[in-house]
Amino acid sequence: MSLLEFEHVEKTYEEEDVLRDVSFAMDRGDVEVIVGPSGAGKSTLLRCVNRLTEIDGGRIVLDGDPIHDLDVNDLRRRVGMVFQDFNLFSHRTARGNITLGLEEVLELDHETAVERADAHLDQVGLSDQVDSYPAELSGGQKQRVGIARALAMEPELMLFDEPTSALDPELVGEVLDVMADLAAEGMTMLSVTHEMGFARSAADTLTVLEDGQIVERGRPEQLFETPENDRTAEFLGRLTDLEQ
Amino acid sequence: MTDGPAETEADPAADRGSLVEELPARRRLVLGAVGVVFWGWLFARWAYHNAALDAAATALGAPDLVRSEVPVQAREGWIPAGPFEAVADAIASVADPLGPARVLLDWVVWLADLAAFATTAAPALAEGAFITVYLTILSILFGLVVAIPVAVARTYGGLFVRMVALTYTELIRGTPLLAQLFFAYFALPLSDVARWIGFTGQPPIPQAASAVAVVGFTVNSSAYQAEYIRSALESVDAGQMTAARAVGLSKRGAIRHVVLPQGLRLAIPSWTNEFVYLIKYSSLAAFITVPDLFQRARDIASDTFQYTDIYVVVGLFYLALVLTTALAMSRFETTVSIPGLGQSTGRD
Repeated sequence: MSLLEFEHVEKTYEEEDVLRDVSFAMDRGDVEVIVGPSGAGKSTLLRCVNRLTEIDGGRIVLDGDPIHDLDVNDLRRRVGMVFQDFNLFSHRTARGNITLGLEEVLELDHETAVERADAHLDQVGLSDQVDSYPAELSGGQKQRVGIARALAMEPELMLFDEPTSALDPELVGEVLDVMADLAAEGMTMLSVTHEMGFARSAADTLTVLEDGQIVERGRPEQLFETPENDRTAEFLGRLTDLEQ
Repeated sequence: MTDGPAETEADPAADRGSLVEELPARRRLVLGAVGVVFWGWLFARWAYHNAALDAAATALGAPDLVRSEVPVQAREGWIPAGPFEAVADAIASVADPLGPARVLLDWVVWLADLAAFATTAAPALAEGAFITVYLTILSILFGLVVAIPVAVARTYGGLFVRMVALTYTELIRGTPLLAQLFFAYFALPLSDVARWIGFTGQPPIPQAASAVAVVGFTVNSSAYQAEYIRSALESVDAGQMTAARAVGLSKRGAIRHVVLPQGLRLAIPSWTNEFVYLIKYSSLAAFITVPDLFQRARDIASDTFQYTDIYVVVGLFYLALVLTTALAMSRFETTVSIPGLGQSTGRD
C-alpha cells in the first residue's frame, strides 16, 4: 500500500484552479521532487498534505487513512514540514524550538524531550548551537534546525517547501547534505526544490507541475535524458543551465 | 535577507531609547540614590503610621515606636521647616533694597519657601502616595489579566467573539474615564459589594471607594492595554503561527506557546506607556473620595490656599513614581529580552 496517495485532488482559490486533477502515489521510503514554474501550485500541493490548505475536490490518503478523517493535529504530528523561510520560533533556542512540539504535542517529559532534541541537533551537525537563538544562527543553520524540529516528531513523511530558496548560495550545500542523508536513511520525502543536483542524485521520482497539473512524472534520469513532454525538456533545461 | 550569523547585534535597550542604559554610570548612581532615599522615606512613613506594626510594637513593649493613632492632618514632617524659612527670610531681606533687580532673588525666596512648605505637606502626601501606588499596581495587573484574552479574541477570535471584544474596547476607549468612574461609583452597587465582602474601612485596607476605583481603572486600562497587545500580536510574523500549527499544536496552544511569548515582549514599551499614564490617571480617584496623592494635595490646597505650591510638590511626587516605573520597566524589558526579537534591524 502506498504511504501517500493523491486522488484527483482539486484546489481553487477565488475561481482560479490551483490544482487540477492531481493524482500520484508515493511508497514508504520514496523521495519525490516536485519542480515547476512559479505559480504552478507546488507549495499548495504540499500544504494540502498537512491541511494547512484544505482541498476542494478529490482526496488525499496517508497510509490508508483519508486525511480528512484524521484529527488535524494528529495528521500534522505524522507529517513533518520544513519551510522556505525557516519559521523558527524566534523566542526559543534551537533546542527550545524542538522541545516545544515534543512536550506540548507528543507530551514527552522535559528530560526526554531535551535528550531527543539534542540528538536531532547532533544529527544535523548543530550540537554546538543548542542554546543559540534563531537570530544568532546563519540561514543554513536555521534551516537545519527547521529540519531537526520536524524530524524530532518522528514523522512518517517529511514535506520540504523550497528549503534552500531563501539561502545564500554558499549555504545551500549544508542543507542539501542533511536532506541527502535523510533520503539515504529511508525517510519518505516530498520536496519542492529547484536543486537539480539533489533531484538527480537523491530523488526516486521527479514530477513536473505546471498550471496545477502534472505535466510529466518519472525517474529523474529519464526526465532529464528522454523527456516525453516539450515543456519538461524546456523547464528542466532552464533549471540545469541556471545551476552551471 | 542575509544568511550570515547576526554578528552586528546591537544592544537591544539602546535601540529602543531605554532610560537606564543611556545614562552614564555616575548619573545612574545618583538617580539610584535619589530613588532609594525617596522610596525609603515613603516606606518609613508608611511603617511609622501603620496600625498593624503599631500593634506589634506595642505588644513588644514599645508603644511609641509606631504612631498609627496620629490623624493624617496632624502628622509632622521629619525635616524641620524652620531652616528653610530662615533662609527665605534672609534672602528676602537682602533682596528688599535691590529694587527691580530683586525679581531674580524672589525666585530663590520662593524655592526656599516651597521647600519649607513641602516638609510640612510631605507626611500627608506620603499617605496619599501609597494609595496611588497600590491603586495603579492593582489596576494595571488586573487590567493585564483582562487585556490579554481581549487582545487574543480580537486577533484570533471568530466573528462574534471579535465583535464583542471590539465593542468592549471601543466603548471603554470612547468614553471619558471620569464618567466611567462616576458610573461605577454612583450607578453600580460596587461600594455595597465591596463592603459586603468586607476588608474595607479598617486600616490598612482602605474604604470601599478605593475598591471601586480599582475596578474602574482596571476596566479602563484593560481596553487600552488590549489595544497595545493586539497590535503587538499582529506584528508577530504569520509564519510563526503556521510553523506552530504544522508541528501539531492546536490554535490555542500556538497562541499560548508561540504568539503570546513573542507578542507580549513586543508590547512591553507601549505597555509601559499605559502604566505611566495610569499613574497619572489614577488622580481621578480623588473625585470619588479616594484619599490618594491628588486628593491629599487638594485637601492641603483648600486648607492653606497655597495652590501653586502644593501642585508643584505633588507634581514632583508623581514624577518620582513615573520615573521609578519607567526605569523598572526598562530593566524588566532588558531582563526578558531575546536576541533578534523586537529589534527593527531589518534582518530576516
